[in-house]
Amino acid sequence: MVKMALGIQIAGSLFGLFMIYYSFLNYKRKEFTIKELIFWISSWVIFMIIALFPSLLEPIVLRVGFLRALDLLTISGFFFLIAGMFYTYIITRKNQKQIEIIVRELAIKGNKRK
Amino acid sequence: METSNIWAVIPAYNEEKSISETIGKTKKHVSNIVVVDDGSKDKTAILGQKEGAVVLSHIVNLGKGAALKTGCDYATRNHAKFIIALDADAQHNPDDIPRFIEKLKKYDIVFSYRRPSRKMPIVLSFGNWFISNVVSLLYGVKLNDTQCGFRAFSKEAYKKVRWNASDYSMESEMISRTGKQKLKYVQIPISTIYSDKYKGTTVIDGIKIVLNMLWWRLINSR
Repeated sequence: MVKMALGIQIAGSLFGLFMIYYSFLNYKRKEFTIKELIFWISSWVIFMIIALFPSLLEPIVLRVGFLRALDLLTISGFFFLIAGMFYTYIITRKNQKQIEIIVRELAIKGNKRK
Repeated sequence: METSNIWAVIPAYNEEKSISETIGKTKKHVSNIVVVDDGSKDKTAILGQKEGAVVLSHIVNLGKGAALKTGCDYATRNHAKFIIALDADAQHNPDDIPRFIEKLKKYDIVFSYRRPSRKMPIVLSFGNWFISNVVSLLYGVKLNDTQCGFRAFSKEAYKKVRWNASDYSMESEMISRTGKQKLKYVQIPISTIYSDKYKGTTVIDGIKIVLNMLWWRLINSR
């Protein structure tokens, strides 16, 4: 049990570190602004702290009626995933519509009748 | 009827084998032809230009609905009063165009239906029958063939039925708008050649079309 918890903590921390590196890489490639970099690094640091010290969540776990911190994290993870999917869907649809408008207008304007 | 304000709109995607023939036959009946090359990877656009059609090129493939809309928008911006939409794969016989023009004198929209034939794939026959019944039930528009893209309409009708769908569901969206806007419509039989069974509406498209029609009826009113 102790070994497994340690394993999850190590995996969580390594994942967090990798994502910090990846966020920094995106900043260096000028894909992220400094504001975005700060947001993502803060998020991954919080993620790593929770992974290393899950007991920090205990007051919240007890208040919302969960038995273990892992249950809370799993449920929260699902919420984030659904919200993320929804957000991605909205952005994709918006981009799709914009691309369609641009492509159609380019086609029409590229062939003005003489 | 004055034919100089009639435009034929032909959306095309990788149709180098048939585009010349389609334009050639269409030219006999309509002088204004616009081909919308929907991001083809072959010589569709070059061949279209060679045949003397106006070719509008989508830099990426968007789908039949978007391509047809580009062509119709272009035609109306160039003072088209009537539009005839037909497929580029030689499935529709342009010699039927005069019959569409004749009907446009009395109706806002002229739909067409493919005569039942043994050559029509069974899946397509069943899908058509099913979608036709759904359309009739939801919108009160009675058509034998909801997926046949050989259609003609006036500029005013186009403004009322201008669809949002960028794919094959535009055919059904157009019908649903016809019903909602209470436009005068008629359907005429046409002969059809089934050239490529891998092109056109698929079963997945059919499911999407039915779901979209329910959505348009329940929520998305215009």
